[in-house]
Amino acid sequence: MPIEIPKDKWPGSIKTVTIGATAAEGGTRAKTITIGGQNTMPFMHFENPISNTPVIALEIKSRKPEDWSALLAEVWGDAMDDPARWAKMAEDSGADLIVLALTLEDEPADAVAATKAVLEASGLPLIVWGPGQSDIDNELLVAVAEATKGERLVLGLCEDSNYRTIVATAMANDHLVIARTPMDVNLAKQLNILITDMGLPAERILMDPTTGALGYGIEYGYSVMERLRLAALQGDGMTQLPMIVTPGFETWKTKEAKVNEGVPAEWGDWLSRSIHWETLTAVSLLESGADIVVLRHPESVSRIKDAISELMMV
Amino acid sequence: MRSPCKPKTFGLQGQTKQDMANHTITFTGENINITVTVPTGTLLAEAAQQAGVEIGQPCGGQGRCGRCAVQVTEGDVRRRSTLRLSENALSRGYALACQSVVESSATIFVPPQDKIERNLTTDRIAAEISVPTDYEYPLYQTVRRIHLELTPPSMDDQTDDWSRLQTVLRLQSKIEYISAPLALLRKIGTILREAEWCATAIIATDPDNGSPAQLIDLLPTHIDEFSPLWGIAVDIGTTTVSLWLVNLITGQVQSQVAEYNGQIARGEDVISRIMYASKQGGEEMSQRVLDTINLLLERACKRAKIKPHQVVKATIAGNSTMIHLLLNIPAASIRLSPFITAINQPPILCAKEVGLNIHDNAPVDCLPGVASYVGADITAGVLSSGMSMSEQIVLFLDVGTNGEIVLGNQDWLVTCACSAGPAFEGAGVVNGMRATTGAIEEVWINGDTYEPGIRVIGGEKPKGVCGSGLISLLAEMFLAGLLDKAGNINLTLNTKRVRKGKHGGEYVIAWAEETQHGEDIAISHVDVDNLLRAKAAIYAGFTVLAEQVGVRLEDTAKVLIGGSFGKYINVEKAIQIGLLPDMPWEQFEFLGNTSVRGSYYALLDWRSRQQIKEIASRMTYIELSADNTFFEAFTSASFLPHTDLSKFPSVEAVVSNQANN
Repeated sequence: MPIEIPKDKWPGSIKTVTIGATAAEGGTRAKTITIGGQNTMPFMHFENPISNTPVIALEIKSRKPEDWSALLAEVWGDAMDDPARWAKMAEDSGADLIVLALTLEDEPADAVAATKAVLEASGLPLIVWGPGQSDIDNELLVAVAEATKGERLVLGLCEDSNYRTIVATAMANDHLVIARTPMDVNLAKQLNILITDMGLPAERILMDPTTGALGYGIEYGYSVMERLRLAALQGDGMTQLPMIVTPGFETWKTKEAKVNEGVPAEWGDWLSRSIHWETLTAVSLLESGADIVVLRHPESVSRIKDAISELMMV
Repeated sequence: MRSPCKPKTFGLQGQTKQDMANHTITFTGENINITVTVPTGTLLAEAAQQAGVEIGQPCGGQGRCGRCAVQVTEGDVRRRSTLRLSENALSRGYALACQSVVESSATIFVPPQDKIERNLTTDRIAAEISVPTDYEYPLYQTVRRIHLELTPPSMDDQTDDWSRLQTVLRLQSKIEYISAPLALLRKIGTILREAEWCATAIIATDPDNGSPAQLIDLLPTHIDEFSPLWGIAVDIGTTTVSLWLVNLITGQVQSQVAEYNGQIARGEDVISRIMYASKQGGEEMSQRVLDTINLLLERACKRAKIKPHQVVKATIAGNSTMIHLLLNIPAASIRLSPFITAINQPPILCAKEVGLNIHDNAPVDCLPGVASYVGADITAGVLSSGMSMSEQIVLFLDVGTNGEIVLGNQDWLVTCACSAGPAFEGAGVVNGMRATTGAIEEVWINGDTYEPGIRVIGGEKPKGVCGSGLISLLAEMFLAGLLDKAGNINLTLNTKRVRKGKHGGEYVIAWAEETQHGEDIAISHVDVDNLLRAKAAIYAGFTVLAEQVGVRLEDTAKVLIGGSFGKYINVEKAIQIGLLPDMPWEQFEFLGNTSVRGSYYALLDWRSRQQIKEIASRMTYIELSADNTFFEAFTSASFLPHTDLSKFPSVEAVVSNQANN
């Protein structure tokens, strides 16, 4: 007996966002990345075709991070001392995008130099994060935005208490922004309203609803993302933005991934455990609607790539 | 700079004689010069109390509000916490009275305390209260005055005095059972003989429970049946206590008086007061509110030219905490999960044991409440608002520190309470104040220059901003673009009035030279946050309540707003900030103090009293903290005017209009 699978008819869809600009578009990128556009829940191909594939970004830093896991230091090696080499290596590992995270030690000139070096070394579209302290974020990101006008970078992170400067510079220099809120549907929506109220089109905003690693609150993050996506598909304009999440950052701060001292022997091999942790976290988030997953380990990139192509098979 | 802490001494050996001794503390200040002797370890606040020096402690002595700051001018004290004091204030010797321990003799300067000057609602400005048209004293009043003609005893009729009284009451007034307090029994014989067996009895019946009637008094005279018989209706509000003196014969309200609740000095909200009462101050809290009521009683009686003991009945409404504190019944369980009161429906008590200065034997009826945070003030309010008789759905809001909300009609009533916090009453806001003289009560802001226009209570220089001022300030700042929808102050605007202050961005409403205290009056981002949370709590409260019963807010025929605060809300501004739902203004109705009115109806008519009891049992209480729904609604309402702008079409229109200009 044939079974008819019920299909939902969604009145809304996710906005299509393009990151990066090629020479023809006023930038220097070898290619651009387009995400969003879905009008069905993740990977429900039978309901509506999924136009854009979720993508993978690799996170690099402007200076060698001292607090990263030894496993990451091992795999990236000397490249960690030079953002340009690191970016190239990331591109070679199969990343679709680079995330360059600036640090508190950076002066605006350092930030600009690192950004330019990365743009030079890799043709991938670029996301730039401030170090996470409002006044310094603003200072560095404004300098970077002005020095890279027209590249359609993604600047992060806008938060509800600090978004004006970043949004203003993104508007003036043709860039995009990330709006980050702490795991709450309403708060996410509110920040998107605040940013669009300033005049930045929604097509230039990505939202980071914040998540947790596997075993560290991922369920909560998962359900917030799912609810945001449901609201978006039901037609709520201020939730219809593609989502960027940071499973790499979340995973590599868990005890299970970060260290191997004083952990039970049954936990098994450190490296494979850590990679499993990062990929499982990332795949779960893809299932809940993530459009960009930001990872840290190159091995995870290839595994997630495989996972995405399997999920995209119709 | 004065050291904030004395060096610690360790162990018993280290304890010097001085530590164990008594110390003299001298309080100075405007009209204050008094010295008390207290032992080591006494709190400055306790020493002040002992000295009879009034120092306000709105947070209940938790060191949170900073209002009890005093200046140590000689000697020193040990400061347990200086959380609320600036470096500058500390260097000038300031200390929090509730957090400072006496360890040596000292002289303390007490700065002038916030005085309450606003004229409260009294009969001089209040509208006349119309007596319910169907009130008939002989039918519906539980306290009655009965003229008695007794047969004098003789050798043929040796019935005792008490039985003689009972017999005549049975024959004349069909009162079968009667009891009397011992003190009165002792006097019966004398009174009857003095009156030559023609006396007047004042009797309280209880038609509700059928329990024996109570003899309140026996008077040795014949009293004209039309001369007044007095009762009082009281509402104990967290902030204001109101009292109406009523002639029970005609039902008319003779005078209306109100005064701030004397408990305010020990906490501005119910939680601080419960904490204070459960620490050591149960008796003090009870006495404080009794003092307020007795003062009002005296004031009302003076106006009517009667003596307080001529009042023979009292009906009291108030939230559950207020009733517990009045009766000095431990209230601690009200604030702790699962939030249970000791008593929701107190039995009828007698004035003497309660401590009211009316007739010793007068019955005191504390009206029934529903739950910890939905008390008799709401059941009485529902009765007087008439919503329990309404065919259409009515939303009743009591906007105050504890926002209480009732939704329903003649067939059903649901209720909830949401703690909005004291922000709208001026607390929790740096330049906030109560609605007294010098408070900014309305603000207008020019959208081009960002210059404000203000109206001040009493018309003098401003001291701070009160609740209605804060609502209008918030709305004006939002519409002028000084605030974004999240309540962030836009520091990029071209005006000197926005600046970066100690608590983030701030907007200056009045410059130092324009104010009474010579300091700028400003509202900071933190203040705005507090106000946003307060308005979000109330909005979330009624939306969740409506959702729970499946009623759309648009379907409510009327929004009734009660509480003495309600009189001052500007509907338009309150909608603009998303405190009240976006409905046509004519659907809002301000009722003033609905609680004292309900108390008055219950005082007059036992049927109304029964209705309140029936309302209390009919109301379904919804505990908002039981699940996540309220929190969701709260976050979504913590935005100007709301995360879902489609809920505020009129505000959206104004905002986009503003943006286009």
